[in-house]
Amino acid sequence: MADNVVWLVLQKLRIPLLVLITSYSIAILGMVLIPGVDDQGNVYHLSFFDAFYFVSYMASTIGFGEGPYDFTYGQKLWVSFCIYLTVVGWFYGIGALISVLTDARLKHELMHSRFKKSVKQIQGDFFIILGYNYVNSEIIKKLHDAQIELVLIDKNEEKINHFLLESMSKDVPVMVGDALLTDTLLDAGIKMPNCKGVVSLFHDEEKNLRISVLVRFLNPTLRVIAKSTINDITMSIMDTDISEILNPFEIFAKRLEFGLVSPHLLLLENWIYGNSDLASHTHFLPKNGKYIVCGYGRFGKALLPVFQRHNIAYVFIDEKRLATQTMIENETFIRANPDDKDVLCSVGIKEADAIISGTKNDITNISIMITAKKLNPNIYTIARENQIDEVSIFEEAQMDWVFIIEKIMVNKTALFLSKPFKHHFLTLILKENEILAKSLAKLLRTTINNNPKLKYLAITNEQSYAIYHELLAGGTVNLEMLRRNLSNWKEINKVVPLLLNREGEDLLLPKDMPLRIGDEILFACDDYAKEEIAFIASNIYDLHYVMTGEEKQIGILKKLFGSKK
Amino acid sequence: MNLQKVISGFFFIFAMTINFGFFYGDISNPALHSVYELFAALIISLISTVLKIGDKTQLGSVLLATSLVADIQLIAAVTVWTITEYLSVVDTESFAVIISLSGGALLANITSVILYIGETLKSKR
Repeated sequence: MADNVVWLVLQKLRIPLLVLITSYSIAILGMVLIPGVDDQGNVYHLSFFDAFYFVSYMASTIGFGEGPYDFTYGQKLWVSFCIYLTVVGWFYGIGALISVLTDARLKHELMHSRFKKSVKQIQGDFFIILGYNYVNSEIIKKLHDAQIELVLIDKNEEKINHFLLESMSKDVPVMVGDALLTDTLLDAGIKMPNCKGVVSLFHDEEKNLRISVLVRFLNPTLRVIAKSTINDITMSIMDTDISEILNPFEIFAKRLEFGLVSPHLLLLENWIYGNSDLASHTHFLPKNGKYIVCGYGRFGKALLPVFQRHNIAYVFIDEKRLATQTMIENETFIRANPDDKDVLCSVGIKEADAIISGTKNDITNISIMITAKKLNPNIYTIARENQIDEVSIFEEAQMDWVFIIEKIMVNKTALFLSKPFKHHFLTLILKENEILAKSLAKLLRTTINNNPKLKYLAITNEQSYAIYHELLAGGTVNLEMLRRNLSNWKEINKVVPLLLNREGEDLLLPKDMPLRIGDEILFACDDYAKEEIAFIASNIYDLHYVMTGEEKQIGILKKLFGSKK
Repeated sequence: MNLQKVISGFFFIFAMTINFGFFYGDISNPALHSVYELFAALIISLISTVLKIGDKTQLGSVLLATSLVADIQLIAAVTVWTITEYLSVVDTESFAVIISLSGGALLANITSVILYIGETLKSKR
């Protein structure tokens, strides 16, 4: 509360105020009581006003001089005592005031009250981001570009100060606070109806679980995006029913599987994330030889089922962890240091198809790759990169595939929050097979271009005013009409409808059909068509033109001339 | 016994009694109202205000509010007196204003003391 700040200042200034009042009243009273002599030689007493006036400018060291008449020695004696009394009182008071204003607690209170105020002023939907680190800063950038409101909390004041230097910090309320406390979450607006979700990507996954549980009780309508790679925690977080689990290792395992069976799905996924365009080279990962995986932690364990499903020969190398007895007996697990020439030779690197270096240490990963390339120049190299700061070294090392954990988390979270329908399409398409993916990629490439844009449209009053009112009036608008060209309605723009969602039912690659209110549609199109779709959907004249091929009569003219017919 | 309580209680009641001392007497007779008493009443009232700062309870806030009322009334009385004394003449009418302002401050002080006593009686220790 803003109240707190005022209280804090007043409370700290109690003693200085008392000192000032007392010293002033002593000085004033003395000045009044001590007799003076006027210019006629008569004895007189200063009035209270005279005394107050004199003491005021004496105490503040302004010093206009003695008055109304020159002081007697008795008065001067008292004044010299009062100078020290009141001036020291003032210095003490000012010193106390400054120390209060620079007090860390006061600063925190001020920040807190500003934060609460700006959270309350957020109009649109917003998300709460917990913790400021590289991943979250990238997410914030992406969401900020998509004009989505955010609130940021971090426990560490230094990190908050760091964030305040960023250009987007003006629009994002920030506070130093412990996200694991209910009060902090409440201040961040977790109970506000326009709060839509919480992003909790702490490295310490226990925290993510705690946040999920807290949010579950505070506001069960929210979505929590929680990072979790440990099985037990994942299960517990899933039990809260409100969380979207983000496990970068699972995501990579899935991508590896696509690389093995359906590279076009991988292509589409990369295109939707905006990582690359559809013209990128696609090829199947080698499937016949052996895969050497360095590291059998959470990462290695996520890969194991993929190899088993596709009958691929594999061997895991890890120095610290232990696998099951059967794996050791089958020689699919070796306990050794993977960054060792002899070890790599002993697991058959010279005949192996691919090597995946997936340890926690980026430098070890690079070192393994370099050794592997030397031993077998044809080997397919896949490296795990934990921290994005090392990106230049990984580029230098010329891996076939670098898998950046932080980037996966950024892409996935940002897409999920800013473009939920796109994310929905992505999850649907990833369930499809290679044949569909290949033909879809080809269709998009030939009808549009190598890097089509995505356009989301909902048939609502806000997003597509014209269609909404046409449908309300009983008219029929077909999906195909949105593809027509506004300069010539018989021509078709470069548009491919990708997904239509009607009352929760998904229709992948919909054919031409009449639209209904509440439909949600995702198009792939070029920039030109993207603009025209928006025009057709919201402008009644443009809609009329693409429906009939005629210009719509303006209302008043129609009334004037139309009725005479 | 708590020294802080003694001091604050002393000033709360002192503010009331000294205010009464100034207020008591014929409202139109300046001889019955000492300027020194008004000065003391204002100073004590200011001190008791500062002593009331910092208590964030409901009662503490009301105590502070009554004290602020007394301060404002007394400051108004002092200002009226100074202005009339130096810029015009202190006649019966303006003197009555001064005394009635201090009477208002007295009421505020009485309220404050009643609240203070009530709280003291309520506390079990």
